[in-house]
Amino acid sequence: MRKSTKWMSVALAGALTVSLAACGSDSKDNETNTSNGGSTTETPKAENVTITFQNIYPDPSTPAAKILDKIVKQYEAEHTNVKIELDSLNTDQQKAKLKTQAASKEVPDITIVNPAAQMKDYVDAGLFAPLNDMLDKNGLKDTFQEGILNWYSFNDNVYALPDGNNVAVMFYNKKLFADAGIAAPPTTFEELLADVKILKDKGITPMVMGEKDTWTGSFLFMNILLRTNGPGFLQSVVDGSKNFSDPAFTEAVDAFQQLVQAGAFQDGATSMDYNAAENLFKTGKSAMYFMGSWATGAIDQSTIGPDAGVFKFPTVNGKGNTDEYMLAPGSAFAISANSKHVEATKDFLNYFMLQFPKVSFDEKNAVTLAQKVDGDFAAAGYSPLQMEVAGIKGAVKGGDLSFDNTMNPATSQVHLTSIQNLFVQKVDSASVGKEHQTAYDSNK
Amino acid sequence: MNQALTSSAASLAKPARKRVPIARISVLTLLGILLVTQLYPLLWLVLYSLKSNEEILSGKFFALPKSLQWTNYKQAIEAHYWQYLYNSVFVTVVTMVCVIVLASMVAYAITRFKWKLGPVVMLIFLMGMMIPVQSTLLPIMMIFKNIPGLMGTRWSIILPYIAYQTPIAVFILSGFMRTIPLEIEESAHMDGASIMRTFRSIILPISVPPIVTVCILTFINIWNEYILAATFISSAKYKTLPFGVNSFVSQYSSNYGAIGAYLVLGALPVIIMYFVLSEKITKGMVAGAVKG
Amino acid sequence: MNALKVPARTIALFVLPCLLLYVCLVFVPIFYSMYTSTFDWNGIGVKKYIGLDNYVNILYHDKVFWPAVKHTLLFAVFSMLEIPVALLIATLLNRYVRKPNFFVSAYFVPVILSVVIIGQLWKTIYNPASLGGMINQTLDSLGLHSWTHSWLTEPDIAMYALYFVALWQYLGYHLLIQFTGISNIPTEIYEAAKIDGAEGFKADWHITFPLVVPIFKISIILAFIGSLQSFDMIMVMTGGGPAHATDVIATHMYNMSFASSKFGYGSAIAIILVIVCLVATVIINTAFNKLEKKIG
Repeated sequence: MRKSTKWMSVALAGALTVSLAACGSDSKDNETNTSNGGSTTETPKAENVTITFQNIYPDPSTPAAKILDKIVKQYEAEHTNVKIELDSLNTDQQKAKLKTQAASKEVPDITIVNPAAQMKDYVDAGLFAPLNDMLDKNGLKDTFQEGILNWYSFNDNVYALPDGNNVAVMFYNKKLFADAGIAAPPTTFEELLADVKILKDKGITPMVMGEKDTWTGSFLFMNILLRTNGPGFLQSVVDGSKNFSDPAFTEAVDAFQQLVQAGAFQDGATSMDYNAAENLFKTGKSAMYFMGSWATGAIDQSTIGPDAGVFKFPTVNGKGNTDEYMLAPGSAFAISANSKHVEATKDFLNYFMLQFPKVSFDEKNAVTLAQKVDGDFAAAGYSPLQMEVAGIKGAVKGGDLSFDNTMNPATSQVHLTSIQNLFVQKVDSASVGKEHQTAYDSNK
Repeated sequence: MNQALTSSAASLAKPARKRVPIARISVLTLLGILLVTQLYPLLWLVLYSLKSNEEILSGKFFALPKSLQWTNYKQAIEAHYWQYLYNSVFVTVVTMVCVIVLASMVAYAITRFKWKLGPVVMLIFLMGMMIPVQSTLLPIMMIFKNIPGLMGTRWSIILPYIAYQTPIAVFILSGFMRTIPLEIEESAHMDGASIMRTFRSIILPISVPPIVTVCILTFINIWNEYILAATFISSAKYKTLPFGVNSFVSQYSSNYGAIGAYLVLGALPVIIMYFVLSEKITKGMVAGAVKG
Repeated sequence: MNALKVPARTIALFVLPCLLLYVCLVFVPIFYSMYTSTFDWNGIGVKKYIGLDNYVNILYHDKVFWPAVKHTLLFAVFSMLEIPVALLIATLLNRYVRKPNFFVSAYFVPVILSVVIIGQLWKTIYNPASLGGMINQTLDSLGLHSWTHSWLTEPDIAMYALYFVALWQYLGYHLLIQFTGISNIPTEIYEAAKIDGAEGFKADWHITFPLVVPIFKISIILAFIGSLQSFDMIMVMTGGGPAHATDVIATHMYNMSFASSKFGYGSAIAIILVIVCLVATVIINTAFNKLEKKIG
């Protein structure tokens, strides 16, 4: 196949010349000095380097994009021979692009991946450079929070550096709770169901879910499973000590269905995307919102910011430890093993990550970082909600990763759809388990 | 009635202007309703582009913005609007020109030249009409990475665009050319004109109507194309308008107002141009056996 | 029809530039997809040869595939049924309206607008009444609460809601094609017919419709291709959900390749799609050629 693609390329190059000539267009593109993945251009002298930095922060008005831009500009000013070319894409498109690039071994110098299972294939294929040596430079390793890098490590090598570290919490609207006469947020699943009923009777949408993006429902479901089983259910499935017909799993499915059947979620949840759902909460149309702590900033700045609070996900049927959370280690920067200038790229990423906490802190975006932050949040004007979330993050006693960070992509997709299905029809929990098991077995 | 008859030529093209008024009124009402449903999105888009995110996400079908959010436009223009617009225009125009030249040559060869492989070539092109782009991203990248200096440039999207638009263009153009009477070329041939000249100065000018059709189809397919462009273009220098639209969609937030503003800025020039040219376009556009 | 005799060199000059480009970028990828479709491959790691297993799995064990085929073909049928309607409207425009060009252009507007915006607009139309959805609010205010639906999330309805959007969006597209076909019919033909006593719809039936058959064919094929490749709009509106209720072949293929990382499997779906398309094109083409012969 390699040979034949080479041959095709020659043919294509021929066809290209001919057809361009036929077009009568002599517009030669003189600006072909781009370096895509560093693969096409031999840098004439080692001094001049262009680093392609694929990222998922396209909107210049968001804090993440501002932070990125600021550090990149700073670095370019200090290293005039280095040019950082930002390929900023929205998340879905970046995922698809990286997959296509990986399949043809054209990974850009820096790219973004998700932790654990979602990056394993890339690491196994040898596409990423190990970053251990770079982490030791300038004490970068010590800036990261305890244990966080484990999610990005394979065979004792770290392959990516995270931009954040989040946990799933339940945001709630204190004012709507008070209006409905609910004194305190629920601590058990039964209370949660009761509150759903009270809110619903008052004409308030109890909870919103952007289930068009299927991971949102899965995230909540997995938190229920974390309570009914304790941490590590999926790991036990992988080890072979448990399977999806386990009572803990079916119990979680049943609990989740109770929530759906009680009318906890807004109408039309499965066609509503993340943004639209979050907006319902942010405009005071819904009382609760289950989401990763990354949403804190946006909720904080919304109209209901002062009324917003968080509570820990309750116990389910008396089971579970509320200090265990759904963990969401952030998307992470990885360096291509085939990069033409690995050292220069490592040097840049080292600088980038060292600056990251400071600049994030100034942009009021530091509560969700994966790195330690020097600075007093309260003194810097972080809000009570931000402080509350920071408090929760400080007291996390373990938990689980999301389904798609733990299982392979094919099984994950079946799982995500299976949970989405629960929003539109009632299903026997045993058959949900069976569906999972079949998917897992056939995609091992 | 008499007046209608005497005012004449037009009434011949529109043979039944003198129908019963009731029919006319009901038809006009129907067409009017359609006009509203098809034009409303434009108004909606303009309103949308001036709203805040909260207003947009509240999902009201008809609502005016509380205060006009001109910042949406400021943000849109700051998101490389001029650069991307230039790239989009460049890519679209080059693609259109190449598609027309290349496809009309092939169509001419298939319908006019005497060679055994003609039908085979036609079939090969027919097969390609239906290939979904999403399924070919990877193989194309595999090929392109072996051609130095191609990946990441404008040509890395222009070439696939041309390749994907030619089948339908060949299909439409050959359908038309088949109906051009052969005598026209034969006489030119006898006067000593080369094939190339006959093609250029006789066939192409006659074929303007289907060429306009091909232009429109090509334009529609390329102006908003994002998946292929996003895969092959990395540098902001070469990105096209859909990148701008999508740049306001982040992982955990979307800036809908700015998206709307970007779409207005991207679509409005086209729509205005289209309305101005529409007379020419519809006049010029026709295909197939009508002339024959 | 006799053809021009030209040297092979000239043929090559006319055909090769386009053919080479096309073969390299469209044809080779298909063969490459055929090749990958015989592997179990996640797109990144090692390929494992599995023969035709992917095809067997798709055709016999894939619970999503056949519904997706059904949705796609229904989509194609509806799109093709739209064309006679477009032709009718084109005839009416030509007959009753003084400045038909303005109308044709106006009807064309939704085609130019990005699918992103079309999706957002229709969501505000289909939303539940509690979120200000236009249809449901109207039904509610008419006292027809029992008629309200969650249009995009009820599995039995959602697909039809999507068809409707597509039909609405592409009406102008086909109308434009049909209209130009009609307006290019030489007026002399109508004059002649008028002398023979054919006017109005009678003239349409005997003159307009037969003369636009070739254009009708182009429209039909474009509609067919369009609906088989429908992808963007579904991704924006429902993402194929709830629980695959609105998946079509193209979205299924994309999800399999990119979300589930089963490139081999995705390629196999693509190949099946190509075969279906090819067969359909040949059928449509032959049918129309026969029809044209009959009329001509």
